[in-house]
Amino acid sequence: MGNDTIDYDRNYGALIRDKTQSNISVKPVYGPEDLPGLDYKRDLGNPGEAPFTRGTYPEMYRKALWLKSFIVCYATPEETNKAFKRYIAAGQTGLRVLTDTATLSGVDPDHPLARYDIMCNGNPTFALTEYETMLDGISLENIDYESANSTPSGSFFTYIYLVSLMEKRGSDISRLRGTNINDPIHAFIVYGTPEFPPDLARKVNQDLIEFGIKNTPNYHPCTPCGYDMRDAGISSVQEMAFIMGNALQYYGDAIRERGVKFDDFKPMVFSMSSESDFFETIAKFRATRRLWAKLAKERLGATKPRNMACRIGIRTAGNSIYPQKPINNTARITMQILAAVLGGVQAIDPSGIDETFGLPSQESRIFELDLQHIIAHEANVPLTADPLGGSYYVEWLTNKLEEETARLLEEIDDQGGMWECLKSGWLQKQFDMTTTEIQNEINACKRLIVGANAFKGDDGEISKAIVDGAYKVPPDEKRFGAITRVKELRKSRDQKRVTRSLKALAQAVREDQNVVRPTMEAAKVYATLGEMVGTIRLAKGLPYDPYERIPTPEFLKGVL
Amino acid sequence: MAAKERKIRVLIGKVGFDPHDRGILILSHGLRNAGMEVIFLGKFQTAEEVVASAIEEHADVIALSDHCGVMRLIAKDVTDLLKENKATDISVVAGGIIPEEDISLLEEMGVTGNYGMGTPMEEIVNHIVERVNDRDEKSRLKAAS
Repeated sequence: MGNDTIDYDRNYGALIRDKTQSNISVKPVYGPEDLPGLDYKRDLGNPGEAPFTRGTYPEMYRKALWLKSFIVCYATPEETNKAFKRYIAAGQTGLRVLTDTATLSGVDPDHPLARYDIMCNGNPTFALTEYETMLDGISLENIDYESANSTPSGSFFTYIYLVSLMEKRGSDISRLRGTNINDPIHAFIVYGTPEFPPDLARKVNQDLIEFGIKNTPNYHPCTPCGYDMRDAGISSVQEMAFIMGNALQYYGDAIRERGVKFDDFKPMVFSMSSESDFFETIAKFRATRRLWAKLAKERLGATKPRNMACRIGIRTAGNSIYPQKPINNTARITMQILAAVLGGVQAIDPSGIDETFGLPSQESRIFELDLQHIIAHEANVPLTADPLGGSYYVEWLTNKLEEETARLLEEIDDQGGMWECLKSGWLQKQFDMTTTEIQNEINACKRLIVGANAFKGDDGEISKAIVDGAYKVPPDEKRFGAITRVKELRKSRDQKRVTRSLKALAQAVREDQNVVRPTMEAAKVYATLGEMVGTIRLAKGLPYDPYERIPTPEFLKGVL
Repeated sequence: MAAKERKIRVLIGKVGFDPHDRGILILSHGLRNAGMEVIFLGKFQTAEEVVASAIEEHADVIALSDHCGVMRLIAKDVTDLLKENKATDISVVAGGIIPEEDISLLEEMGVTGNYGMGTPMEEIVNHIVERVNDRDEKSRLKAAS
């Protein structure tokens, strides 16, 4: 036999698993016997009717497609502004911004820890000046604006900058639309930034909800984030239980402590992950809507069906994007978006095929928009609501996920809610347990990832082009320009007004008043992010710098 | 693989504000399972703090992790500080999101591995063992001559 002979194996690439991604055991086939006592009206209902299993709205996508919303995060405010305009012209309908890691961590670009990743992963919005440039020529009165910043200070200051900018422009802030994650419990697990410690983070979370419902009623001031948690490596059941547990905590607190009514809010919004397991992902969105309808009614006192419904915004799973044979990422993202549409979500934020090499290139972003246009207009997927409703397997899996989530929620309740679960370390243990289990399965090839631990192969020209095309952060000189900009701003602004506004902010914190309005006033006169975070901390008796590496600025020493 | 009397000590360093820690969690488990000792100082460290702790803890290896695409800056500071402190016997390996064009630059600095997502744990473990053995071999040869 010659050297070019190969072994043929009819079973090469055969299935190796009998469980879903979240390790739910699955039978080879499902039938009516797996859905005993299924009651259409009680368990499913038509789309737009409680319990919303089949969808949030009666006509679903016939009336309005999902928002096509992805993170735009280029290094400078000018680049970001240009990109927003290009993407809006190509069909982006939800603006979403992510800043660099220093900003997420609550400090200015000239903080000693910031110099490494300054301007990476987004532009440093250290003051209102940056929002003025970034959103130049884009009205905030008729656009959906979503915040991807989800550290305790990141959520809070995104809102502060948006409403402050609107007031400076003379716009009506009550017309602000969009979502703010404002989910500090998930942020402690996923980001672990210390700028607002738990008690302070809890107050700021509540202040934002209270101010939001009174002043920007069309905006969602708190939309618990399952996406970030899922990306850190938990299961579907944990993702569902933790977002609902967090929602019950935050809105329950607001009802008890701030005297608001759940019926006054717009329908709940959850941020979730669209994962690689196709049917589990679809069932997860259906089960989330059904379980939430019950919880909103029974636990938060929702009386109108509208307030029992929830909307789901997704990001496709970032941790499913691999650098090996990157062209395969197009298939992963396509499947994940399709699962989201079949699951009836309201907003989709896809990963970039190139995002393990850098930030997504503009071409990769346009591809993601086109992919959604293809699903809508060529594949005709959204023509009818919940097309998989009634499938024996999908309904069984929906029931299964709901039951297991309800069980985990009971465990959370028994411990006194999610803040307690965070403080006791139980929540962290949940993460560690699942992440380790999944990783062990990957290491042992009991969970196959094409190109990474199975079906490996060499990268060719197409892969190389994907790697080369990824957005590169600007050269260091340009990046360190943000340090110069913040220093110049501190020199050129009206310092007396800054000092006065920060004094008023500190006073409000000490008197335990709502801090949103006084923080807005400080932002409007160009106090910097680090100064505002530091002032709030000082008034709480904490060191100015959350990372304890820089001293309190001289001008603040006299007034606080 | 030569039997070692003492466990290999790896200090995991996260410098700057990159918050992604799934990689280091997986790495810690993997290295511990392979019989190594793992020291992790937490996120949000400076290069100075990482190097000082590595020296104090008698680490054999510093494993740097970054997902912001700036490993070249972090690695430069860490390797410069190791030289300044005459501690170049501590090997440096790296992983995370590392731009392709930075890899040769990192290797010139002596920073190896430079692993991305999906790298089998075995490959990382073998690489660390190899680097420590290489260093021990070199110091034996030096002592002998």
